[in-house]
Amino acid sequence: MLTLLEQLDKGSLWQSPGGIHPPELKQLSNQQAISRLPLAKQFVVPIPQVGEQARLLVDVGQTVLKGQVLTEGNGFIYLPVHAPTSGTVTAIKPVASNHASGLPVLSCIIDADGNDTWCDLIVSEPSALTNDEIISKIKLAGIAGMGGAAFPTHIKLNTASEIDLVIINGVECEPYITSDDRLMREHSDEILKGVEIIHRLLNPQRIIIAIEDNKPEAAEAMQQAINHSKLPANSARVTVIPTKYPSGGEKQLIQIITGKEVPSGCLPSQLGIVVQNVGTAFAIQDAIYYGKPLVERVVTLTGKNIHRPGNYWLPIGTPVSTALKLVDFSPSSDQKLIIGGPMMGYAINNAYVPILKGTNCILAPSNDEISPDSDEKACIRCGECAIACPALLLPQQLFWHAKAEEYDKAASFNLQDCIECGCCSYVCPSDIPLVEYYRIAKSALRVEAEEKVLAEQAKQRFEARLQRLEDEKLAREAKAKEAAEKRQANMKSSDKDAVAAAMARIAAKKAAQSNDVNQQTDIQNNQAVSDSVNKKSAVSAAIARAKAKKAAQATPPPSSAENNTLQQDNSIGNVAEVSMSQQDRIAAAVARAKAKKAAQHNQVITSDVVVNDSASVSTLEIDSTVNDKKAKVAAAIAKAKAKKLQQVGIANDTDGNELADVSSITKTAVASSIGSEKLVTESKTDIGSLDKKARVALAIAKAKAKKSPQGHDRTAADESSSSLPINLNTQISNGTSTSSDNEIIADAEPENVEQDKKARIAAAVAKAKAKKLQQTESSNVKSALSDISTRASQTENVDTAALDKKAKVAAAVAKAKAKKLAQQAEKKD
Amino acid sequence: MAFKIASSPHVGTTLQTAKVMQRVVLCLIPGIAAQLYFFGYGTLLQIAIAIITAYAAEATILALRNRPIKSTLADNSALVTALLLAIAIPPLAPWWVIVIGTLFSIIIVKHLYGGLGNNLFNPAMAGYVLLLISFPVQMTDWVSPMSAAQQSVDISYAWKVIFNSTSDIILTGHNLAIDGTTMATPLDTLKTDLSMGLTTHESLAKPIFSSMTGLGWFEVNFAFLIGGLIMLKLKVIRWHISFGILTALFICSSFGFLLNPDTHVSPIMHLFSGGTMLAAFFIATDPVTAATSARGRIIFGAMIGALIYVIRTFGGYPDAVAFAVLLANMCAPFIDHYVRPRTYGHRSGS
Repeated sequence: MLTLLEQLDKGSLWQSPGGIHPPELKQLSNQQAISRLPLAKQFVVPIPQVGEQARLLVDVGQTVLKGQVLTEGNGFIYLPVHAPTSGTVTAIKPVASNHASGLPVLSCIIDADGNDTWCDLIVSEPSALTNDEIISKIKLAGIAGMGGAAFPTHIKLNTASEIDLVIINGVECEPYITSDDRLMREHSDEILKGVEIIHRLLNPQRIIIAIEDNKPEAAEAMQQAINHSKLPANSARVTVIPTKYPSGGEKQLIQIITGKEVPSGCLPSQLGIVVQNVGTAFAIQDAIYYGKPLVERVVTLTGKNIHRPGNYWLPIGTPVSTALKLVDFSPSSDQKLIIGGPMMGYAINNAYVPILKGTNCILAPSNDEISPDSDEKACIRCGECAIACPALLLPQQLFWHAKAEEYDKAASFNLQDCIECGCCSYVCPSDIPLVEYYRIAKSALRVEAEEKVLAEQAKQRFEARLQRLEDEKLAREAKAKEAAEKRQANMKSSDKDAVAAAMARIAAKKAAQSNDVNQQTDIQNNQAVSDSVNKKSAVSAAIARAKAKKAAQATPPPSSAENNTLQQDNSIGNVAEVSMSQQDRIAAAVARAKAKKAAQHNQVITSDVVVNDSASVSTLEIDSTVNDKKAKVAAAIAKAKAKKLQQVGIANDTDGNELADVSSITKTAVASSIGSEKLVTESKTDIGSLDKKARVALAIAKAKAKKSPQGHDRTAADESSSSLPINLNTQISNGTSTSSDNEIIADAEPENVEQDKKARIAAAVAKAKAKKLQQTESSNVKSALSDISTRASQTENVDTAALDKKAKVAAAVAKAKAKKLAQQAEKKD
Repeated sequence: MAFKIASSPHVGTTLQTAKVMQRVVLCLIPGIAAQLYFFGYGTLLQIAIAIITAYAAEATILALRNRPIKSTLADNSALVTALLLAIAIPPLAPWWVIVIGTLFSIIIVKHLYGGLGNNLFNPAMAGYVLLLISFPVQMTDWVSPMSAAQQSVDISYAWKVIFNSTSDIILTGHNLAIDGTTMATPLDTLKTDLSMGLTTHESLAKPIFSSMTGLGWFEVNFAFLIGGLIMLKLKVIRWHISFGILTALFICSSFGFLLNPDTHVSPIMHLFSGGTMLAAFFIATDPVTAATSARGRIIFGAMIGALIYVIRTFGGYPDAVAFAVLLANMCAPFIDHYVRPRTYGHRSGS
C-alpha cells in the first residue's frame, strides 16, 4: 500500500463522481497572448465593507494614485480596496453591483487622468521579511481568491492547521474561460515565485499544480518553471487531470488529487490541504516582490458576439460595458451577458458594473451558443441529474422538495452540500432549472435559520422583561409595605394642630426665601450642595417634606419615624434637626427651602428614581385618603393665611427676586389648594378639574403678566423673555419637586395626570415669576436673571433628556406668553 | 442596454424528454421487427390502434385538465406507452382489447395520478394487467410462431381477425384457420404441462419449443436485447435496472434448475422467453416508476427479476413480467427512501 505522498508523487488520480463534458470552446480565446486594452475613462471601485468593517480614506474631489489604498479597517475578512489607476474621485455613491442581483453597492467613482501613475511601491526581497510581514503584505495588497469566490487569501495562508499539501488550481474546468491557461503559459515563472512564497508560509510536504489535460502548453510551461524554481527538489509537480466539469471545484479537485473528501461543513485545511488559484499565486508574487496591490487581473472576454475575443489585463473596477466596447462587442437581440463561465456564471442585466477581483470571464454568447429559453417540463425521474452530480446528491429529490417548498425535507437530502455547479440542470431532459430551485431553497433555509435565531432572542428578551417586571413589582410592594408601616407609626405619635403646622410652613418658606435672597451666594451654596447630594436627595426631600406636612396636619409633633426618614438624606440633615423641634418653624422652613433647591437641581437627574419613589409616595397617599382630605382642607386654610403673610412680605421686602419666589410659590400653593378643595368634593381622579385648576392658575398669571410691563426697562423685558424658556425648564423641574406638596394636597392622582398638572402649574409659576421680575427694578432683574440662568444652565444640561413632552408644551406656551409680554412692553414704551 | 437575465447554467443538454422517448421508440424497432416476422402483422395493427387511442385519450384528458395539449403530446411519452402495450398483447387480440388497455393506461394510470412524472405504476404494464385479469382468454391466445403455423398472418388477415371479433370465432371453432394460428405461449404451455405432471424435458420436446426456448420467442427476445443495448450505448437508459433484472432472474432460475431440473427450466429459457428482455430494457427502465438512485435501481431491478422467477415458477400466471414490474413500482418510493447515496463529505451511513 502506497502512502498518500508516494501516490501524489506518482501522479495517481482518483475518480470524482458525476460531472459532465460540456463543449469546451476554449479555442475562441486562448489563441492570442494576454494583451492590454486602452485605459477606461472611468472606474467603479466597490467599497461594500465601508460602514461595517472599514472606513473610507478618500473624499469626493480628491486625487488618487494607482494602487493608493481607499479604505481602512480591521475586520476578520476585511480587505483593503485600492485605486485601480490615478485620477480623481468624482463620486462616492451606490452603483449597481457586479452580482446576479445587480443590487447597488457603495462605490467610489474614479475618473482616470490617463497617466496611470503608481503610488510609491515598497519593493522588498521576501527573504528579508518574516512570515507575518508577508501575510500582512498580502492582506494589505487586497489579495482575494481569483478563481471566482474571492475569499481573502491571507486567511487561507494563515491557517492554524498543519498543511501537508498545497494544490495550485490551474484546472479551469469551465467552458470558454482561458485566463488561467494563458497566465500559466506566459507567466509560469512569476506564478512559481508566488508558489514559493506560499510554500514558505505553509511549509507543506508537497505542492501539486493541477491542470486539465486540455491545456498541455500550460502544463509544459509550469513543469519547466518548477524545474528552475527554488522550491525544494521533488516537493512540487504538475499533475495533469482528465478534463471534466467541475474538476476545478475545490472539493472535487481535492478528491481527484488525494482521494479524500472534505467533510461536510468543513474547510480543506482540516485535511491539511490548501487550494490556491494560479492567478492568486501570481498576485502574491506581485505584492511581495513589487509591492503592487491587486489592482488588475486577466479577464477572458469571449463569446461569438465579441469580435476580438481573448485575454486582457483589465484594472479592477473597469466597467464591463467599457471593456466590451474595447473588444468590439456587438449585441444580438436577447443578448445575454454572463460574468464567469456558462455553467456557473451569472447573467447581468446592466453592463455598467465593475470588474471585480474574482471576475475571470465575461461571456457574450450568440444565441446559438447557449440554450434557448424553454419551459420547464415534468420531471420524469430519469435520474441523469443524480448521475451527473459531483456531490452525490439526489437532485431530483431535492427538486421535488424544493418545488413543494418542503425545505426541511430538502435539507434532509443534504441540500447544503450542493455546490451549485449546474451539472444537474445541464443534463436535465425536462429543462428544469434545478440549481435555481436549490438557490431559492437554500436562501429560504437561511432566512428560516435567521428567523429562528431572532425568535430565540426575542423570547429571551421577553422572558428577561417579565423577570424584570416581576422584580420591580416585588420591590414596589416591599417599599409600599415599608412606607405603610412608617405611616402607621406616624399616626400613633402625631396630633398637632394642622393649621399651626401649615402656618409654620408658610412662615418658614418666607424665612427661607429671605435667607436665600439676602445673599446671592446662598444659591451658590445650594448649588454646591446640590452637586454633592446624591440622586435620591431630592426625592427623599420631597417625601420628607410631605411627611412633615402630613404629620403636622393630621397629628402631633414629628415622630422618630419621620426623623428617620428625614435623616436618610444627609444633605438635608439640618432639616431633620429643625423639624424635630417643630416649634422652630422658621428653621424648618429654611431647611425645606434648601431641600427644594436641592431638588430643583437634582430632580431631573434622578427622574427614574422620582418615578419609583413618587409611586411609593402615591401608594402611601392612597393608604390614607381620609387623612389627606383633612390635610387638604388644612392646607387650603394655611395657604390662605400664607397669602396674607405674603402680602405683608411684599410690602416689606424690597428684593424683587425674593418676592417673586415667595409669591409664585404661594400662588402655586393657592392654585393647588383651590384645586384640591374641589377635588375633595369631586372625584379624585378628575383630570378635568385639575386642568381647570391649572387653567385658573394660567389665567391669573396671564392677567398679571398683562399688567407687568408697565414701568419697565425694555432690555430687562427682552432679557427676561429670552431667558424665560430656560428659566421655565428650571421651574418645571422645580415644579416637580413642588408637586410633592401638591401631590399630598391634591391626593394621589395617577402619575401622568399629576405631571401634567405639575407642568402647567410650573408654567404658571414661571409666568408669575417673570411678571414679578419685570415689576422689580432692572438691576434686581438682572441679578435675578443671572441667577436663574446659572441655575438654568445647570439644570438644562441635565434635564433636557428627562423633560417630558408636557413640560415642553408648557415651556412653549410660556415662551409664547413671554413674547407677548415683550411685545406689549415694546408697545407701551 | 439591458441584457437578458437567466439563471446558470446557461448551456444544457439537447437530449430532451421528447428525444429520449423518440430514441426508446427507435430502439424498439428490432424487437418489433422480429415480432412481426415470427407472429405476423397483427402487432402492426395493434400498434396503430394503440397509438391512435393513446393520443386521442391523452389529448382529451389534457383538455379536461387544462394542460397544454400540443407540447405535452410532443413529449412522445404516450407513444411509448401505446407501443409497449401493443407489443405486449397477443397480435391477434380483438381491437377492443387494446383500446380498453390503452385508455386505462393513459387516462387512469397516467393522468389520474397527475400525468407524466407523477404516475406510480408503469402505464403499459398496468394496462396489460387489467387486460390479463379481465380478458384472460383473449390475452393468452398467441399466434403460433410462423414456422409452427406454416401460415403467415398478413395485414388483411390480421385486420379481419382483429376487427371481426376473433374470440367468438375461436370459442365456437368456426374458423379453423384462426384456430390453427393461435395457441398458448411456450411459457403457458410449459406451465400447463408441468401442472399435468409432465417433466420439463417432456414438455420441451413439443414443437412449440426450439432447441433453447420457445420457438420464435428467443429471436424476439434477442432483438429486444439488441435494442436495449443500443439504448444503453446511447445513454437513453442506464444499466442498473436491466442488470438487476437479468442477474436476479438468472441467479434464481439457475438455483431452481440446478436443484430440480425436472420441474424447473433453464436460466436461458427464462431469460429468452416471454417478455423478459422487453421488460428488462424497455418496461422496467421507465424512470418515472422506478427507483432513482443507482443502488436503488439495482435493488429495484433485482426485485423484478426475482419476482418474475417466483411468479413464473410458483404463481398462477405463465408470464409474470407485468406483475413483477407493478409490484416493484409499489416498492420504488420505499427503496428511494432507504437507499440514498452517501453525499460528498458525509460519512457512510449518515
